[in-house]
Amino acid sequence: FDWRTWGIWAIGFSILVVWIIVPIKEFKKLLKKRKEKHN
Amino acid sequence: MNSIDYLIVVAFLGMIFFVGSIFYKWIGNSDDFYLAGRNLTPFILAAVLAATNINLYSFIGQSGIAYKYGIPIIWQTWTGNMAMVFSGLFVIPIFRRLRIRTIPEFLEMRYSKGVRTLVAVIWVFRLAFWLGVILYTAVTAAQIITGLHSFTALVLILSVVVIIYTMLGGMWSVAFTDVIQFILMLGGALILLPIAMSYVGWWPGLVAKLPKDSLTLVQQTGKYSWKFVLAIFLLGIEWACVDQGLLQRAFGAENTRTVAKGLVLAAIITTPFALLWNLPGLAARIIFPHLANADTAVPLLLAHFIPNIILGIIVVGLFSSQLSATSGNLNGIATVFASDIYENVLNRKATDKDVILVARIITILAGIAMIAFAYAVPVLGGAVNAYLTVIAIMDMPLFIIAVVYGLLWKRANWQGAIGGYFSGAIAGIIGQYFFKFDFNLTTFISAGAALVVTPIISLLTKKSTSVTVDNIWKAKKTSEEESNSNNVYNIIPKTIPGKISLSILALGLILFLVGVILGSEGLELASILSVSGMILYFIGGLLKAYTN
Repeated sequence: FDWRTWGIWAIGFSILVVWIIVPIKEFKKLLKKRKEKHN
Repeated sequence: MNSIDYLIVVAFLGMIFFVGSIFYKWIGNSDDFYLAGRNLTPFILAAVLAATNINLYSFIGQSGIAYKYGIPIIWQTWTGNMAMVFSGLFVIPIFRRLRIRTIPEFLEMRYSKGVRTLVAVIWVFRLAFWLGVILYTAVTAAQIITGLHSFTALVLILSVVVIIYTMLGGMWSVAFTDVIQFILMLGGALILLPIAMSYVGWWPGLVAKLPKDSLTLVQQTGKYSWKFVLAIFLLGIEWACVDQGLLQRAFGAENTRTVAKGLVLAAIITTPFALLWNLPGLAARIIFPHLANADTAVPLLLAHFIPNIILGIIVVGLFSSQLSATSGNLNGIATVFASDIYENVLNRKATDKDVILVARIITILAGIAMIAFAYAVPVLGGAVNAYLTVIAIMDMPLFIIAVVYGLLWKRANWQGAIGGYFSGAIAGIIGQYFFKFDFNLTTFISAGAALVVTPIISLLTKKSTSVTVDNIWKAKKTSEEESNSNNVYNIIPKTIPGKISLSILALGLILFLVGVILGSEGLELASILSVSGMILYFIGGLLKAYTN
């Protein structure tokens, strides 16, 4: 394992972390919206 | 794999089943089941699209081709992504404004009920059979990776859970589980890349040890030459404009601009990630130079270099790619049948509850058909290839009648559409099986026939006038929904930043095409130009999605 290995993992997993945080926030908003709608 | 790895896989399946089934409560009406109530936001949509487009065979099959023929196969993913940007910015926003659920529904608006029913029936069968084929290929790959040789056990692992949660939660389940599976499949692939590359000495190692031209992106000759790049790009445009699996996700977007953002983001995110399953294939060529079956390249890398527990996590990632592709397409079959055949032909007085019930039953039946087809694939042998070829040939005429004439020429009528569709299909089949043309050439022949026949028959038959056709032409500009929410998306930009972004996109496309064509001269510049053009095209696309 050298800097290239850690570099690829750092960049790749950072992108994936963004894709975990943002959709979770968006799903939370949707859940809130549905509860409010729930007539 | 050892018992801990199996435990990780079982825990993953249990978690996905639990999470997917929760959304049963979210299904209030048929739009919830088909389109997640049209609530999908850009990042969710991007993850869902990426997860649906990548299946287990993308990892195994594409890396196998890279092992055998070198890097150019990566263009299959890259040009597909470029096509998604094109359709996301210019074509699907029009469909989204019409608030349709399926392409056959658009065909009724544009032509007639008959065209809708015809295409819907073809799509139900083609999607179910295609799912069977990818399940079969996934199981054969999983046998090597997991060491579990029972075909039936793997078929059940890769189908039962996904059929149940897709049936219960419809598109809501598909969307949420796809986001999880997107993370897992790319995370798993990320682990493998540096390990394989460090073993062969990274890029300099590949250059030194691989056959000449293996790393040339745009090649002058060979099976995956510059002609392949050009053909696969045009085929990608067709796929990105009419594929039900892709379009249905886009129709679930909260508004037109989200369609553009979601498709562009999905394309950009999967472009660098395509290296994750192509470079290991090239590394395997150095590590295992004489494999009889190239598709075993990545499974062998996993078996040799990945320690247990980590292997379990990677297998979960690979299974994720398969489950997400399956769930999206099962939901697509249920939607086409319930919306285009049941509600439109069999029971026009159906209530929303009836429709959801039918969609759920069809999800289960399509799942059973998928399993049956998976068992039939080895028995049918060459017939499978023939079927897939015929289906691929029929996609081109569908693109011509739905998008080219459907959106660009008002005079095209249903007689022309049916004539163009069948003449394209017949011309393609004759080219493929009687003249033995190359498949890429066949698709152009079928497109050409549809392009010529549709206007001739349309002009020879009565002009059709309809309000719905006028609505389609209005949808090219804006929709009431957009005007009311004050969130107008301009397909042709009106502001300076928007015009600049469109210019960057066009310049990128020109550079890409020039680069590919220069590949015919065998110039080194060809690869650099085409990749630079692609990157510029993506930058322009991203700016266009976020500006007006």
